[in-house]
Amino acid sequence: MTERPTADELAEAIEEFLAGEVLPTLGDPRARFRMLVALNALGIVRRELAKLPPEDDAEQRELAARIRAGDVHAGTLARVKAHVETRLRIDSPGYLERD
Amino acid sequence: MIADMREALQAVLGPVSEPVLLPGGASKEAWAVDADGRRLLVRRAGGGVIHRHTLSLKHEFEVLQAAHAEGVKVPEPVLYIEDLDGREAFVMERIEGETIGRRIVRMQVPERLPLQMAEELAKIHALPPEELPFLEEATIDRLVEELDEFGEPHPAIELGLWWLRENRLPRREPVVVHGDYRIGNLAVDENGLVAVLDWEFAHLDDPARDLSFALVRAWRFGVPELRLGGIADVETYLERYNELTGFGVRPEELDYWELAGNVAWAVGCLTQAQRHLSGRDRSVELAILGRLGAEVEHEICHLLEAQGVT
Repeated sequence: MTERPTADELAEAIEEFLAGEVLPTLGDPRARFRMLVALNALGIVRRELAKLPPEDDAEQRELAARIRAGDVHAGTLARVKAHVETRLRIDSPGYLERD
Repeated sequence: MIADMREALQAVLGPVSEPVLLPGGASKEAWAVDADGRRLLVRRAGGGVIHRHTLSLKHEFEVLQAAHAEGVKVPEPVLYIEDLDGREAFVMERIEGETIGRRIVRMQVPERLPLQMAEELAKIHALPPEELPFLEEATIDRLVEELDEFGEPHPAIELGLWWLRENRLPRREPVVVHGDYRIGNLAVDENGLVAVLDWEFAHLDDPARDLSFALVRAWRFGVPELRLGGIADVETYLERYNELTGFGVRPEELDYWELAGNVAWAVGCLTQAQRHLSGRDRSVELAILGRLGAEVEHEICHLLEAQGVT
């Protein structure tokens, strides 16, 4: 699944926020130094993420296209929901515990 | 920036206090300022637009004027300014009242709030469309177009759209709608509803759709068991609305449009993330909505199950 933002795109957004909005407000030299170290570490994470192969979303594409064409039958919803739950376990695990 | 804003405002309003830029709002700025003893709020264009189908500030101001003239509880519109320090803006009354959804659902809100929500919506739906000729009619198909712009597969959204197509309701005569009528866009205090805010999504639509948007789970702010925006059940709200409008909206229509509202917000999450990804409005807050949309897709599945889909 190529869900966007990808993990690297999220890390990039965090990097921009920390470097662009938080760092300039830090007056304490120790906090500034640690922020620079943290940004360095985040750079490592991003380069490592960039090496991962892109996830294959062919199955989801096919399923989405079939539903668009009206090809919906018993079991389609169960399959769709199972996939959404897989995503939620990463994107918002607490949400699944609420029901 | 603040000095320029003060000078620009003084040119149209006379002497003003030092303007304060309020937090939030990537696409529009909000400035608090006092002039001649009046508490004012200046809404000014920001970098981009949230959505292709949002109103310009000029049109939003005209909708606000029409709503105010018909007695809808809204901030009093004061002045439209074509060029305020280089951008379009308008000035309105600055309302006191809680607008943060998460706080409202935790407040001791008066029991009449659902009734007041129905009453204001009934007045909005009676606004004369001929006075607002720029308002466009929206359709469910517009969501499909938006979804296709992202090129990402979202089977849950597709399944929601499929069900909405298969179970289309008889068409109601479109009326002027607010378009984003929910907790979070209402100012509330201990006496209940103070004002209806954020009119940029106003358009022409099925009134039952507007009536149901406040039911969407994401707008219950952590109190999912209370279907009307985390503050109440829907029964009294629906009854009062029907009593005032005579539209006779049925509970099944609320179910249909609640699902449509979730589909719209699931697409909305992708739209917001796209503002970040495209580089128009770089923001970690917008970016993460691309992932939190999974919660909304889960709710779509949940509502489809309740309709007997398997």
